[in-house]
Amino acid sequence: MSSAAPPITSDAPSLAGRVDRRALYAWIALLLAVMGIGAAAFLYQFANGLAVTGMRNIVMWGQYILFFMFFVGLSAGGLIVASAGRLFGVGAFKPITRLAVLEATIAVILAATFILPDLGRPERIINILLYFNPTSPMIWDIAIVFVYMAMSAFYVWLYCRADLARRGSWLALGTGTSERTMAREERVKSVMAWVALPAAIMLHSITAWIFGLQISRGFWYSSIMAPMFIASALVSGLGLVIVLALILRRLGRLAFPDSLVAMLGGLLGAFIAVEAFLLLAEYLTALYPGAPEGEAAARMLSGPYLPLFVFEVVVGLLIPFLILSQRRLRTSPVWVATAAAIGIFGIFVHRLNLVLNGLSYPNIDLPPGLPVGTPQVGSSFSVYTWYVPTLVEWLIVAGILAFGALLFTAAVAFLPLQEPDAH
Amino acid sequence: MADGKVAPVDALSPASKAWGEIGPRSAAPHWGMVVDQERCIGCWSCAVICKSENDIPLGMWWNRILTEGDSLDQPEVVRGGALEMQWLPLACQHCENAPCVKVCPVQATYHRSDGLVMQDTDRCIGCRYCMIACPYGVRNMNWGAPDRPTPHETGMVGARPLGTVEKCTMCVQRLAEDQVPACVWSCPAGARVFGDLNDPEGRLATLIREREGYELLEEAGTKPSVRYLPPRRRSPL
Repeated sequence: MSSAAPPITSDAPSLAGRVDRRALYAWIALLLAVMGIGAAAFLYQFANGLAVTGMRNIVMWGQYILFFMFFVGLSAGGLIVASAGRLFGVGAFKPITRLAVLEATIAVILAATFILPDLGRPERIINILLYFNPTSPMIWDIAIVFVYMAMSAFYVWLYCRADLARRGSWLALGTGTSERTMAREERVKSVMAWVALPAAIMLHSITAWIFGLQISRGFWYSSIMAPMFIASALVSGLGLVIVLALILRRLGRLAFPDSLVAMLGGLLGAFIAVEAFLLLAEYLTALYPGAPEGEAAARMLSGPYLPLFVFEVVVGLLIPFLILSQRRLRTSPVWVATAAAIGIFGIFVHRLNLVLNGLSYPNIDLPPGLPVGTPQVGSSFSVYTWYVPTLVEWLIVAGILAFGALLFTAAVAFLPLQEPDAH
Repeated sequence: MADGKVAPVDALSPASKAWGEIGPRSAAPHWGMVVDQERCIGCWSCAVICKSENDIPLGMWWNRILTEGDSLDQPEVVRGGALEMQWLPLACQHCENAPCVKVCPVQATYHRSDGLVMQDTDRCIGCRYCMIACPYGVRNMNWGAPDRPTPHETGMVGARPLGTVEKCTMCVQRLAEDQVPACVWSCPAGARVFGDLNDPEGRLATLIREREGYELLEEAGTKPSVRYLPPRRRSPL
């Protein structure tokens, strides 16, 4: 695909271009089916308790929290790139701004959804409003997630508003396209970029602090957690924006020149380098004294964690960095998309390592260990556990992912994602 | 009792009732416990009576006895090749600076005015953040419906709902009857002492002072209400 992409009619009211209508309906039917299976799995879990998951007293957070923080990262990353582009006047980012903001909105909605199946008593979630504890980082995070969700949804609407008004869509909420309105819109957009950038940074920092403020977890208790969460959010968030943008361009829903792909690829390479640097700083500081405080970091370099660590560093960081550092490969959308996809998966493994290694080994690891929490054959205690998610957890995760894909498909079908003055 | 259970104090003989009385305290007590590692014989009596008193389902323990070293039932080989065995009875430390109270999003974990850390299982949403925050690993989640070895409820307290977190309450149901916690009452070696940390001349303060009582994971800064007394002399086998 080259910069000579077919022109886009930005007021097309439905999925146009090369998408076959029947294929679209089949895709939606598939998503609805996966969502249905996920909902059934959730009801099963609700009836039987979290005993149907792989979580127990030692590794008491698993798949759901992992996806929660992964999607918070995807969301924060997308919006940071979009709003920084506007703040620092990087006009070249304009064609993907709407997509980045949309991706941020849907990702944060999914992140919030992942909290629900993680609760032992999801029907009591209202207690968070009734009895909220101001000293709990989880309360800070829920607050910023909802502020951020409202803000990014408004941001999407703000960017699409004028085009919707031109189409006469009710989604324009009665706003017009007079010169005065357009001038005001530009001012609101600038203010929003100033609000959105710090909000996106706070969203991810606070999520990091859920983990990083806990002195009970040596692998997490570090001031580098928030910066590292930002760096990994930038890698995965920008990576996802790149992949989605290239897919939408292939589908004829978005047009932008290859030069933008190369530029985003270069930026992604820089973000990967920052993530690698923070990782190095963290591990060096933890390992150098050879003291008990560095035990958790040392564990990553041996035993069952070693393959995961190698994957995180070599596959997740080194390979995409090498691809993106080659000017020749950076100008190829296929290579950039490949590097971005690997980078996203690498960040996922990074977060998996964070949860697994952070929890598998209790502070006081004398025999017989911690009570597992459910009846089992033999001893009810275990010193270490290795967490493996169950089928129920996978089905619920798949259902929520399908929900996100459905939201995204609907948004692509109904929202004008193309900036009219992009080309 | 409302749920038809026998109040613990009525279930005791007059002699054991008198023996289990809490005794002297200050005007505003801060309940605490001292665990003497020199006296502990690792018999698990306190862990078992805890399960019985509090009707704790299978797979869960509020109180357990850890063995120092690498093995549950083998002595530790110490410097010089001698063999030693020592235990660390572990339950909720009822911290003054409790990480669980700080992080609970819905204030389901809270301090009583007497210093005890309590868990309101009718409010708990089951997020398990308190289990993340606790450095001691003493909290239990009701992962599934409670499973008990007999259909008869043995406990003196009501069952906890599915999907909530529970832990040692220092037997508040017994404290209300002026009785020491079940683990203290049952210890055959007299290794546990319950009392008022606020009383400077009380048994706890005296023992902690004289025996150089220490806090578990002191570096976490949790200010526990449970203190441990180290053995004064090792007794190699």
